[in-house]
Amino acid sequence: MVVEDNAADVFLIRAAIRAAGVDADLYVMKDGEEAIRFIDRLEADLEAPVADLILLDINLPKKQGGEVLEHIRKTRRSANSRVIAVSTSDSAKDRENMTRLGAIGYFHKPSRYEDFLKLGGLIKQVLGQ
Amino acid sequence: MSGTGTQALSAFLSRGVEANEAFREMIEALPIALYGTDAEGRLTFFNPAAVRLSGRVPDLGTDRWCVTWKLYLADGTPLPHEQCPMAIALRGGEVATGIECIAERPDGSRFWFTPYPAILRDAQGRVTGGINLLVDITERKLAEAEVQRYFEAIVETTPECVKVVARDGTLQLMNSAGLAMVGANAADEVLGRSVYDLIAPEYRERFREFHERICAGERGSLEFEIAGLKGTRRRVDTHAAPLVQSDGTTIQLAVTRDITERNQAERAGLLLQAIVDSSDDAIVSKDLNGIVTSWNKGAERIFGYTAEEAVGQSITIIIPPDRLDEEPKILARLRRGQRVDHFETIRRRKDGTLLNISLTISPVKDPKGKIIGASKIARDITDRKRAEAALIASEAKFRQLADSMPQIVWTARPDGYLDYYNERWYEYTGFSRDSFGDASWQPVIHPDDRQRCRDAWYQTIGSGKPYEIEHRFWDRRSNRWRWFMGRALPVREAEGRIVKWFGSFTDIDDQKRVEEELRRANQDLEQFAFSASHDLQEPLRTVKIYSELLVQTLGGKVEGDTEEFLRYLQSGATRLELLVRDLLTYTQASTFEPPTRTIDAGAVLKTTLASLAGRISETSAEIVSGTLPAVRVHEAHLQQLFQNLLSNAMKYRSPERVPAIKVTAEPRGEQWVFAVSDNGIGINPEYKERIFGLFKRLHSNEEYSGTGIGLALCRRIVDRYNGRIWAESRPGQGSTFSFTLPG
Repeated sequence: MVVEDNAADVFLIRAAIRAAGVDADLYVMKDGEEAIRFIDRLEADLEAPVADLILLDINLPKKQGGEVLEHIRKTRRSANSRVIAVSTSDSAKDRENMTRLGAIGYFHKPSRYEDFLKLGGLIKQVLGQ
Repeated sequence: MSGTGTQALSAFLSRGVEANEAFREMIEALPIALYGTDAEGRLTFFNPAAVRLSGRVPDLGTDRWCVTWKLYLADGTPLPHEQCPMAIALRGGEVATGIECIAERPDGSRFWFTPYPAILRDAQGRVTGGINLLVDITERKLAEAEVQRYFEAIVETTPECVKVVARDGTLQLMNSAGLAMVGANAADEVLGRSVYDLIAPEYRERFREFHERICAGERGSLEFEIAGLKGTRRRVDTHAAPLVQSDGTTIQLAVTRDITERNQAERAGLLLQAIVDSSDDAIVSKDLNGIVTSWNKGAERIFGYTAEEAVGQSITIIIPPDRLDEEPKILARLRRGQRVDHFETIRRRKDGTLLNISLTISPVKDPKGKIIGASKIARDITDRKRAEAALIASEAKFRQLADSMPQIVWTARPDGYLDYYNERWYEYTGFSRDSFGDASWQPVIHPDDRQRCRDAWYQTIGSGKPYEIEHRFWDRRSNRWRWFMGRALPVREAEGRIVKWFGSFTDIDDQKRVEEELRRANQDLEQFAFSASHDLQEPLRTVKIYSELLVQTLGGKVEGDTEEFLRYLQSGATRLELLVRDLLTYTQASTFEPPTRTIDAGAVLKTTLASLAGRISETSAEIVSGTLPAVRVHEAHLQQLFQNLLSNAMKYRSPERVPAIKVTAEPRGEQWVFAVSDNGIGINPEYKERIFGLFKRLHSNEEYSGTGIGLALCRRIVDRYNGRIWAESRPGQGSTFSFTLPG
């Protein structure tokens, strides 16, 4: 699951996943509220598979990434989903906050295409593929 | 009866007592007890007077030695008849004349008598008998005993010490007052002992001479000190007379008075006299009629009259005519036993000049508490009055000045009590002019500032340090609080004692609001700059990555202008990215917590050089440094300073020389002055200041790339530490950038 409001970045994330050769179904949420609604639906629908990995942007419209992560941690089904925080910010405060809430990784969005593709490697590593 | 008379009588009697009837009758009629004995002491005759005296009729031929029933010596011990004076005389012994004996009658009554025994002898000188005259001395003895009792009573009740000292110094008698004086509880503690033991050692010799003079028959007195049994020393005054005893020796009878207190009182009196004499104030006493009875040196000096001139005169000699009515009032108060305290008036000197005087007059009482006069202390306060007048004049000047000032001006006493406000205060508050102290400003101050100001004010009063505090006063005209700056400074006299506080309240409301607005604007600006630079990064990154992707996608198909457009697009994005990054650093430099510890500037330089290693090898720069100190700044800030200045030194290097850069530091007061010198292109002096402005650049991006933020950031950092940064340069030869930091 990808929570990212910037379509350009969603494109880059897809490119990175593809480049790393990771096989995954991608669910993209455009803001924090949508993400929370999706998580809540998974709570209700026991048939639906929970996310193996959530790429969570920190600066999101409506609800911030931190709030989404807090919500995820309170659920029954998604509580154990692995989360990688993704952000343009490299502020230590953001990084610490997400780690405290249980993010297992933090990806600082780079300004070079080549560097962005490294996200794919990180995802692959986390998913153990 | 003299001894000679007795002998004549006995001679006459021996010439034929029995034969002469006429003589017998005479003896019978004699009012003196008389009896006769034979040579063995057996009574041969007695007269009626002897019966009357002894209270019995003797048994002639049986009774021996004496007509009396029982005999005692003067001290009361029984005296057997065979040892009575008559018996001794008959046995041929010597009998002292005038001895006194006691005899007891059968009815138990006693009487005193003196026997006059005489021995009768025949022509051959053999003892044929004796006759004895018993002279009744009872009345005299009773009278004597009475005198003794009187004497003892007088001695005992005398409040002074009465003592008798034998010639050898033994104390023979001392009354209760004396025992108390020497600290004895009972007479036997001192009687029989040497009087010298009770005399203070340094007076013993003097007492010995005195004692010998008395014993030689003189009268005299001596002042000396005794050291009592309990060690207490007392000063005494003794008056002694010689006393000739019955044995002919002379002893000392003395009355001794304890004058310790009197002496102390005398000394206190002398001290008081000395104080009175040395006083600068006039100290005068007068009786209730206003006649001067004493006049000290101070009075002579102040009033010009000598003591001889003033004593005996009326006190009115120093009272100016127009104030003569004061004296009766003062006297009336004194008669009522009241004091007159610090009464300020005018008195006249002998030469007629008038003086300002402060009078304190107290009644003088005799030992019985009756008011007999007054003591008067007069202080010349002419100078003080003059000073007061000068002070009043200077205060008037001060008030005039204070009223002309735009601020609220006030004064306070050394204890912090506000005692004056200028006109501005009354204009501002509309308060009445009789309110001073804390109560005067508390109603107008903001409740949130009240305690703070009060505490600060009284802390200032306690410490004597200047007072400075910002607070709000209610502005009744604009109906809102206005900010004021309250300040106060102490005024000290020559010895440093605070005599007054001068204070002011300055309206700083406008200034304060401008400051506040500026602060808020700055804060907003910083917030804006921070979020702008932060948020700008996001789209910028997108632009950069996609222009890159565009180039990749188009591949070699790009030609002509399109290629140039793409290049502009990419370099613009790169430049914008640098700008945004530097701007972020710049805004972040504005907020920080004061550093708690010092850091080693040398170590920071080392780290910086490591991060610049690429540039250094690229430019072949030679960078050297002196010994760098420890400074109280954040490490990141010092690193930014070094990094920017060193980068600039390398960037603006001369194309003709290998860059040589030197980093040094030297102390200046509590600060350190750091300098980064290079041999680069230098700076036109015209731009020395401008280069520290934000986004200010001297070169085009084509010549030297840069954002125009580096030096602005440096200034901003140094400003944060209250330091200074400046540039010195000789164009074409090099520049030195200096900055100061706290040590």
